[in-house]
Amino acid sequence: MKSEEDLNRVMETYADMVRRICFLHLKNKYDTEDVFQNVYLKYLLYDKPFASGEHEKAWFARVAINACTDHLRYISRRKWVPLDVIEEESGVLDDTYSEVLEAVLSLPEKYRNVIYLHYYEEYPAVEIARILRKKENTVYSWLSRARELLRARLGGEWA
Amino acid sequence: MNVIRDSMEEIRASKELKRNTMEYLRNQQRYYRARMVRRYVLAAACICLLLLGGGYTLYARPVSYISIDVNPSIELGINCFGRVVEADAYNRDGNVILMQVPLKNVPYLKAISRLLGDESYSGYLTEDSRVFITVISERWETILEEIRADELAGRYGAQTYTSDLTCREEAHQYRMSFGKYRACLELSKYDESVTVEECHGMSMSEIEDRIETCKGHGNGSRGEGGHRRRNRGRGCQNDGSYEDYEDYGNDEYDEYDEYYDGEGHEGHHRHGNSP
Repeated sequence: MKSEEDLNRVMETYADMVRRICFLHLKNKYDTEDVFQNVYLKYLLYDKPFASGEHEKAWFARVAINACTDHLRYISRRKWVPLDVIEEESGVLDDTYSEVLEAVLSLPEKYRNVIYLHYYEEYPAVEIARILRKKENTVYSWLSRARELLRARLGGEWA
Repeated sequence: MNVIRDSMEEIRASKELKRNTMEYLRNQQRYYRARMVRRYVLAAACICLLLLGGGYTLYARPVSYISIDVNPSIELGINCFGRVVEADAYNRDGNVILMQVPLKNVPYLKAISRLLGDESYSGYLTEDSRVFITVISERWETILEEIRADELAGRYGAQTYTSDLTCREEAHQYRMSFGKYRACLELSKYDESVTVEECHGMSMSEIEDRIETCKGHGNGSRGEGGHRRRNRGRGCQNDGSYEDYEDYGNDEYDEYDEYYDGEGHEGHHRHGNSP
């Protein structure tokens, strides 16, 4: 069982990442809060040591993605996010970012994950393959297709 | 350059979300800790129960037996701690005594003293009667020594013998204490006409007197019949526990050597305190 100090540390370190992964998959703040808490509960009950900070971060990313997938299966709702939720979630962003976010969220789930892990967390394909437990070539293939879809939607200048 | 990164930069976990989650985790921590404590308590209770059950089984299991025979025949079961855990009577007099004298859960020497010293029992200890104490145990030597050293047993001139579990089983088939059954078998060696049923109606003194009488006749029935009883078919078979009687190296036991047939022994033997 983890200590209060440890919980505070991982809360400060990984909360934003977990929140963003939730944002990529879930439709409203209630689902987000459910999954967010569930990820940290899994950490609370996880009793194996982490080899490094990177290992711990990758663990949080993988657990958050899996928790979102499980939650979506559980609630069996639509797997795309309605625009009003995006507006609600990204109300503070300007129009350019709203358009980008909408484009990312319109991607199939597997592409969303690789786009986020690659472009935001800056993981190389080999690390993404480990986190998602897929083959490296599969990750390359998903990244390539995701880029094509984004380019088709946003034009050539997005990345 | 990274538009995606910039677009997500503003998506952060709110303070409210963090606070709610920390509160949720604290509650969960309390719940899981309480559950863990409950499990430990349950496990400890199970272990205690097992230990208690095992301890009771160990305590309640007799490993040695002592038969005290005058006319009333009483058998005591002794556990590994030397305490009486079973007390059985093999005739009506014995049953009456057992109802009056509490023998269970006390050390066997105390039980024997309590029995011999009790008014209801001492009534049977007349001048003509004798006390026979027969022991079945892996540590029979120690038990016999302690009994011989007992003041009351010494006062009543208790004769001590050993026997074995096979003998005890056979004795119980005849509803007889193994101490009395041992005496019957000894008598039957001298007088093969005697039956166990006949011995049932005799007191220990009477059986002993007949043995002495048979011995006093020189060869007894053996002399007339011209043979030595080997006790085959009727005697107790050795269970391997006490088969080293021939190693005692004590002249006191020489008189019994004739009962050995080279393959085993008769399953019982007299020790010390001979009249």
